[in-house]
Amino acid sequence: MTSRPVTARAAGTDGRAALKHFTRAFGAAIVVLVVWRVTTVGLAEGYPASFWISQALNGLVLGGVYALVALGYTLVYGILFMINFAHGEVMMIGGITGYFALQFALARGWMEGPWAIVVIALLTIMVIGMAASVLIGVALERLAYRPLRQAPRLVPLISAIGASLFLQYSVLLIFGVSPHSYRKPALISGGLRLGDVFIPYTGAIIFITSILLMLALYFIIQRTKLGRAMRAVAEDRATASLMGVDVNAVIVVTFMLGSALAGAAGVMLGFHNTVVKFNSGFIPGLKAFTAAVLGGIGNIPGAMFGALILGLIEAVGPSALGIPTEYKDVIAFSLLVLILIFRPTGLFGEVLSEKKA
Amino acid sequence: MLILDSVHTYYGHIHALKGISLRVNEGEVVTLIGSNGAGKTTTLNTISGVLPARAGAIYFQDSPQGGGSSSLPGRENGIRLDRMPAHEVARLGVSQSPEGRKIFARLSVQENLALGAFARTDSDGVRDDLERVFELFPRLKERLSQPGGTLSGGEQQMLAIGRALMSSPRILLLDEPSMGLAPLLVQQIFQIIREINAQGTTILLVEQNAQAALQVADRGYVLETGNIVLSGAADSLLANPQVAEAYLGI
Repeated sequence: MTSRPVTARAAGTDGRAALKHFTRAFGAAIVVLVVWRVTTVGLAEGYPASFWISQALNGLVLGGVYALVALGYTLVYGILFMINFAHGEVMMIGGITGYFALQFALARGWMEGPWAIVVIALLTIMVIGMAASVLIGVALERLAYRPLRQAPRLVPLISAIGASLFLQYSVLLIFGVSPHSYRKPALISGGLRLGDVFIPYTGAIIFITSILLMLALYFIIQRTKLGRAMRAVAEDRATASLMGVDVNAVIVVTFMLGSALAGAAGVMLGFHNTVVKFNSGFIPGLKAFTAAVLGGIGNIPGAMFGALILGLIEAVGPSALGIPTEYKDVIAFSLLVLILIFRPTGLFGEVLSEKKA
Repeated sequence: MLILDSVHTYYGHIHALKGISLRVNEGEVVTLIGSNGAGKTTTLNTISGVLPARAGAIYFQDSPQGGGSSSLPGRENGIRLDRMPAHEVARLGVSQSPEGRKIFARLSVQENLALGAFARTDSDGVRDDLERVFELFPRLKERLSQPGGTLSGGEQQMLAIGRALMSSPRILLLDEPSMGLAPLLVQQIFQIIREINAQGTTILLVEQNAQAALQVADRGYVLETGNIVLSGAADSLLANPQVAEAYLGI
């Protein structure tokens, strides 16, 4: 009788070892497959170097946008240990609001005016989009998450998915199913040609703006009193409150920062993809989530690098693997599954503590 | 200065504090002793507002010393701490150095100390208090840029007390400052507690090391399974055979 649990446990470790061998073999097979595909198909196509450079630059632009959204996931996870699955919709709301702000500016002819006016108008459009996202982000926290703060971890996750659908279909109901087209002003329509590489102005602007916003966020978190309070709350909520830190206020500010970045991403993605509609936040939201997991969720530099890497893989991947570009989403989400199998803590992740796990 | 009037606290269905009444007067060191699980930490966390009191009242009087009415039970002019969120209690000048130190491991020593002064706006006062903390704990000054998590246990305890002092508290709640420290360090910590009190900070000290706690305290309360079973002047508790048998290991 007493030997039974022992043998059961031995069988368990055997099973686990077998699973480990299997996942290793599976991982090796994938690596071999990818290398084989890249060398025999992707590189055999004989694309010029300029092609790869252009693809990589596109990837960096996309990565910059993903990074802004991924930071929202990672900030909220860092403090509340929950995935805000409605974050893609927070971004979409920024994009939709930016569209209407752009229409307003176009109607007044500001987009054809002197360049200073165009720049100010574009910045204002972005700020308006950010403000709308902040409003939605704060409302989400207050209505969908705060009442569930003491609930088991799965409950706010379900609430987040519900909120995501609610926001998508509210926008569908109000603004209709047809996409709204962003019309680029002439000032940012062209691009730079460096040899055979073409860099669209919007791409360059998006990348630079993303980097600037990320630097601003990093400064806030590392160098300000507010950022110190955020890091303290992320580590230990009760002790932070003993220091006089209003934990709820810090959580609200965290949502505000994440949502503001998402709103900026939404407007920039509007200019980049030229259209926004009710579900245009969904897939980029999941991609940004993938990026955050890739970098190690909860880790701020991780989210930035994870997003840039994801953007690059997505842009270069289809050509390198010799598959149609429509399958780039497959690459991104396969990557998500592979990270979750082989390195759930992400590239920069640390071992999750008891509390977070 | 601080009055608990039959305070009841629950963890879910567990009745952890069963009507605690105690008071701490301005300038005193009062100690709360008792064995593991008696409710000492629960008492401090209820005062701090981390745990809600389900019944009873907690009053805090922040009146200047020598005020005639403030020396009376005078609950009219006390502030109710129960049902106040923890950060507001802290901002009133009730500062806690929690059990297990609870240093922010990823934040530097300097950032930990700065968080102690989070709610303050008087930057001159903060600078003076930082100097005072460095005088009490010169070790911290050498470790300023190091992450809190890399400090030794004794250094972390110093940081926890220093951090609590950075709020310039009216009353300091110390939870097990001697826990897990080498005997020499324990002596040093109790010496520092005496010094902090001599500089004018009222102290409520929770300790399992009853001997050492009663030696620095003016008065003491003995806590047993959520009830106060004994109270009195520290020396009389030290001399009490019941206390000696149960808590002093004599």
